Amino acid sequence: MMSAITQTIATPTEAVPMSRTTIRRTDLRARGEPALWSLGGALALGVIMIIGFLVLVFANGIVTFIPKPLAVVTETDGTVTAGEPFRSELYKPSPEIIASLSPEWRERVKAENGYVSRTLYRTGNFDIYGEDFRWVPAFQAAKIEHPKNLSFFERMEWGPFVGTVKSFKVGGAEQAFTSLSDPKFIQVHDESRARAEEIRAIERGKIGHINHELETERLDLRKVELEHGRNSAEYKAAQDRLTARAAELQVDYDKFSAEVQKLREMNAGNTLTLAEVGGREKTIEFSALVRAYAANDLSLLQTLGVYFSRWGEFLADEPREANTEGGVFPAIFGTFAMTLLMVIVVAPFGIITALYLREYAKQGKLVSFVRISVNNLAGVPSIVYGVFGLGFFAYVLGGSIDALFYPERLPNPTFGTGGLMWASLTLALLTVPVVIVATEEALAAVPRSMREGSLACGASKWQTIRYIVLPRAMPGILTGVILAMARGAGEVAPLMLVGVVKLAPELPVDGLFPFVHLERSFMHLGFHIFDVGFQSRNAEAGKPMVFVTTVLLIALVTFVNATAIIVRNRLKKKFAGSQF
Amino acid sequence: MAAETPVSSSAAPKRARRSMKTSKAVLIADKVADWTIRIGGLGVIAAVFGIMAFLAMVVVPLFTGASIDKAAVSDHAVTGGRPLMDVIDEYKTVSVSIDDTGKVNAFHITSGAVLDVATFDFGGKTLTAFARTLNGRDIAFGFADGTLRLATVKIGGAVINTSDAPADLKKLSDTDSTDGKAIYTAVSADQTRRVSIEVELAAEQQVAPAGTAIVAADYRMGGAAERPTISFVTIDAAGVGRLSRSESKSNMMTGVTTTSVTSSELPGLPHGVKVRNVLMTDKADQVYVIDAGGTVYRYDTREFDAPVLAETIDLLPDATTVGAVGFLIGEQSLVVSGSDGSVDVYFRLQAAGATTTDGYVMTRAHMLAPHTAPVVAMDASQRGKMFITADAKGEIWLRHSTSEQVLLRLKPNDTPSYRAIALAPRENSVLAVTEEGKVYTWDISAPHPESTLNTIFGKVWYEGYPEPGFTWQSSSGTDAFEPKFSLVPLIFGTIKATFYSLLFAIPIALGAAIYTSEFVHHRVRAVVKPTMELMASLPSVVLGFIAALILAPIVETWIAAIFFAFIVIPAGLFTAAYLWQLLPNPIALRYGGLPKFALIFAALGIFGYAAFLFGPVFESLFFAGDLKAWANGDVGSSVPFTAMIAFPFVFLALHLASDTLVTTHLGFILRGEDRTRAGLTDAVRWVMTLIAAGVVSYALAVALVAFGLDPRGGVVDTYVQRNTLVVGFAMGFAVIPIIYTIAEDALNTVPEHLRAASLACGATPWQTAISVIVPTAMSGIFSAIMVGMGRAVGETMIVVMAAGNTPVMEWNVFNGLRALSANIAVELSEAVRDSTLYRMLFLAALSLFVITFIVNTLAEVVRQRFRKRTAQL
Repeated sequence: MMSAITQTIATPTEAVPMSRTTIRRTDLRARGEPALWSLGGALALGVIMIIGFLVLVFANGIVTFIPKPLAVVTETDGTVTAGEPFRSELYKPSPEIIASLSPEWRERVKAENGYVSRTLYRTGNFDIYGEDFRWVPAFQAAKIEHPKNLSFFERMEWGPFVGTVKSFKVGGAEQAFTSLSDPKFIQVHDESRARAEEIRAIERGKIGHINHELETERLDLRKVELEHGRNSAEYKAAQDRLTARAAELQVDYDKFSAEVQKLREMNAGNTLTLAEVGGREKTIEFSALVRAYAANDLSLLQTLGVYFSRWGEFLADEPREANTEGGVFPAIFGTFAMTLLMVIVVAPFGIITALYLREYAKQGKLVSFVRISVNNLAGVPSIVYGVFGLGFFAYVLGGSIDALFYPERLPNPTFGTGGLMWASLTLALLTVPVVIVATEEALAAVPRSMREGSLACGASKWQTIRYIVLPRAMPGILTGVILAMARGAGEVAPLMLVGVVKLAPELPVDGLFPFVHLERSFMHLGFHIFDVGFQSRNAEAGKPMVFVTTVLLIALVTFVNATAIIVRNRLKKKFAGSQF
Repeated sequence: MAAETPVSSSAAPKRARRSMKTSKAVLIADKVADWTIRIGGLGVIAAVFGIMAFLAMVVVPLFTGASIDKAAVSDHAVTGGRPLMDVIDEYKTVSVSIDDTGKVNAFHITSGAVLDVATFDFGGKTLTAFARTLNGRDIAFGFADGTLRLATVKIGGAVINTSDAPADLKKLSDTDSTDGKAIYTAVSADQTRRVSIEVELAAEQQVAPAGTAIVAADYRMGGAAERPTISFVTIDAAGVGRLSRSESKSNMMTGVTTTSVTSSELPGLPHGVKVRNVLMTDKADQVYVIDAGGTVYRYDTREFDAPVLAETIDLLPDATTVGAVGFLIGEQSLVVSGSDGSVDVYFRLQAAGATTTDGYVMTRAHMLAPHTAPVVAMDASQRGKMFITADAKGEIWLRHSTSEQVLLRLKPNDTPSYRAIALAPRENSVLAVTEEGKVYTWDISAPHPESTLNTIFGKVWYEGYPEPGFTWQSSSGTDAFEPKFSLVPLIFGTIKATFYSLLFAIPIALGAAIYTSEFVHHRVRAVVKPTMELMASLPSVVLGFIAALILAPIVETWIAAIFFAFIVIPAGLFTAAYLWQLLPNPIALRYGGLPKFALIFAALGIFGYAAFLFGPVFESLFFAGDLKAWANGDVGSSVPFTAMIAFPFVFLALHLASDTLVTTHLGFILRGEDRTRAGLTDAVRWVMTLIAAGVVSYALAVALVAFGLDPRGGVVDTYVQRNTLVVGFAMGFAVIPIIYTIAEDALNTVPEHLRAASLACGATPWQTAISVIVPTAMSGIFSAIMVGMGRAVGETMIVVMAAGNTPVMEWNVFNGLRALSANIAVELSEAVRDSTLYRMLFLAALSLFVITFIVNTLAEVVRQRFRKRTAQL
């Protein structure tokens, strides 16, 4: 192709004497139109891919919480399936199945090149059926109805239930059921749920407190034992203290558990008997019912109500059912806490290093080697940092901390295993090159004349940096820090090694001394996606949840990135006037 | 801001003269800042480089082999007859040796204190044969009168409360003490471990005819707890081999145990054979009879009543006699050593065309470094493939079978003649008893005997494998399992994933970069570039999730359509381009900007849809209607597919040929005519080339396939849902924006005057781009590709989720892979700290670190050169 081009560039000289009247035209091949279209095609493909991807994720994520109508499908063999139509797809039935079809269906399948559509129904009722999804091929669905009284019940356990209310009891007494919007029904439900919340609050808060205190006392005793030995007087005293304290706490514990027991008993009287489409019944407590709605009989307002209440639950609650339902609040909290800690570490160190490299170190071969290396570290795979974090931070550093400060807890590791602090430090190490590079660039952009002016006025080196250089480099520095945050928030692979777990109901910050628990494992949005999508019992059931989490994570990362851009622009404007 | 700048103004001027002294505070602040920044900066740099150092530090012990911690000799411990065997207990507290008079010598290893243990009472009979299990717990004695007695030596290690230990103990060391019968070791403040020895001798059984000595025996316990069976094989002095099994049944009602013995004779043993050794495998399904000259008679004893001589093989050269022989753990590997000092490991392998009755052949898998003197004794580890061999010169070598390395050569100052040697159960001690009853002990540590550079990066022959190979298999259910650590399949996986994803990403990213930089309006660029960059900020876990759960099923269903799209979309874009050329010049110029770009989008959409519509047709034409079955090799022929692969190359060749051959003439025609007719001529030429290319590539494919070249079994093979194609797409998605951004930046920094000059000389934008801009920016583009490659090599979540994680080594696009990074992510959290697996994973991380560091440095150096060059232009 190159030869063709050089040829065509050369040809005009030959072409001139041909005819004076011909308009000189370029050889069409010189325009490279086909190649141009392929280049354009590549760009278009790239744009289509990114837009398609975002649309796919957001469309799926946003519709997830919309209550869908429930269908009752009567199949040709008489099986009745009730459930949410989850998704449809084309598939290729095996030849044996096609052979067993009616002639007209066989024709249709043939016309579609052997493909036929099928729909996946979310049937729920896992405790009765042993499965919660069912494929129904189009040729098998004889009749599809949408009965108005069919309802969707979200439960604390066993996943959703699809069916109707048979009856309900309040305080053990049978009540007449009219509809799900019956005020009495709603009131009983709300009260039961409130009591369940209270039980949880007592168990988590007060009883949790007692357990924590007991554990602390026990550790104190162990500490005394390690320091003074088992036969010392100190040990005896500590042992007596523990016994006395344990007795006190036992009294409290009995009181609280009696309280819980009372609430439990009250809740046990409020039950609800549900019937699935085939008539099999299931009785559950009101307190185990999260939400119920008559899916085929919802007004727009009710639809919106369900939609937003689900979002609320998602953002503010804890996960249920192996993370496939409920909320992701601990994961959001964990992601934020980790990113924040990371920034607290990475910002000062990154900036100091950049200052050193740019303002203090003697510029030479060595510094430029260091600079290239730091640059390259940004390209080192994140998993490598994870390996380092586990090996060095958790095992070596954490192990030493445990041996020095927490000998009473050994062999159970405190800092000697993955945790919030190590995860943050690992990510800080991972993102420090980003901050260094950005800060260095920003520092380099501050004109030399300004530094010299400041020094000439008698300012010291630090004063010059503090009052002249840093303010002007601030937009660039901030951008670097924010970009580091965005990278940190989206990273998962290293975190899998240094402290992220699939379920950690105990947040790293709580009301128990010392309030911030840096050694605790935590949940993370990115890992949540991996976990629910890949390690849960039923990937299908988790998929909607993963989409919503994905939307949340992308939104978070994009938000952080967008902030970086806005901050940069703002600050640039602010300093634009003072440049000279 | 500037107004605030304090210029040493702390001391306010009292009179007209200002104080010229800088305030202390300023000076201190300056010093503090100076030091903080220096220390902090250097510290961070050191920390960052410390990563590599730390990783290397963890990895190094893999290659350091073994070391001797302590060596000792004592000569008072073992007395009596000739020692037969020696065992060490789990905690390395006591050594128990048995001699041919039945005396059991037990002594505390560190102090040499002798314990009082019962002896085996042989009743005055002469011992002629001895057998033991690997752990030394079960033993058998054969006597000159043809009887056999089984025995057990139990070394118990029970943890008791310190208060329950006897009071008047004799102190042996800091932790150990004894009451003369057992050793008491303080484990913690209130717990003590009691190590005691119990021996038991069973009643004798007459196996051989009375008076015929038993010369060799072996036995294995089997069956269930309530119905134990004992299988044993004996060879008597007459050269008759007997296979017996005794089965004990305990009657539930009466509690009476009845024992029945079945017996059969081993056929085919030559008359007068001098049997040195007989071995029986764990499940009693194989019996090896080894004669003094090194000939092995292997019996298939799965039919216990009718043993079959499966194989007779001479393992040693003539004039060489057998030294020590024995199984390694798992009883699949047989170690045979000879009087010439050779130590070889044999596997029983299934071989095609084997002449043996059961299809298995004894194969020499490992030839280990030979001793310089005859081998006299050996002992194998109870937890791995390590074993020790002792020679007549008094050297004991610690070896590892799989890695074929000699870890330690233990040489005492004198040349003792060993009778029994023992490797401690935890592989932390070696003990040897000499003829005279001297005891040599060595405390050793060999934490990673199985790893050498060769086992990690070279082919290794593992037990049960037909040939040496590259295998990664770090864990399994059984105890005797040997972990297989070869990084090669993982490195291969990484390369495969990188290769396929770059194959997808590079054309798109570079094409898009060139088009963005050279052919679109800067306002379009201002929208398109950030959009593409947005792709770079997407968390890879999201890409992995979409790839594995959404894309993989789609690709599986529409695989034919996707393959078809690879053909249809480029072809469609070309068609659209040739159609565009038919437009009259003014129109083409007027709509050459955004409308054309929009048309490209439309063309992409239309032809993409066409690929989807006609995918099944394509499938039936090229892949016999079922791509997956075709890829499996079940249906169809490979000719169409080979032709498809060959087509682009053939087309390019023909196109270039037609260009160069008829350039002048064609240029003459094309320039002479008006645009539409020129366009038509060009299009016709294109179609002709296409047809010609089709014919040629088909012919080529027929020839290639006839020649025996079949892409099936190579790049395409059995379809797996999570495969490299999906990984390629997803990882391409992650890599495209990186390559795109850097390449676009490089193209954009080419000085404007070059562009202007080229255009002013009459070159078209296409000519300018391809022969001026791209060559100038080439080093920048190269560095873009390198950075993209660095990212693909280290990408973790996408491969973890979408690649299926099977450590196979094949180029098949339809199969999965296991990459280094994914392997670390999956296995490190399960790995025990400082275990071989842990260190291997650190080695994997170090490899990744080094690979990406080199790739990135290369990219950076090239980029800096590029910067310098453009600055000079």
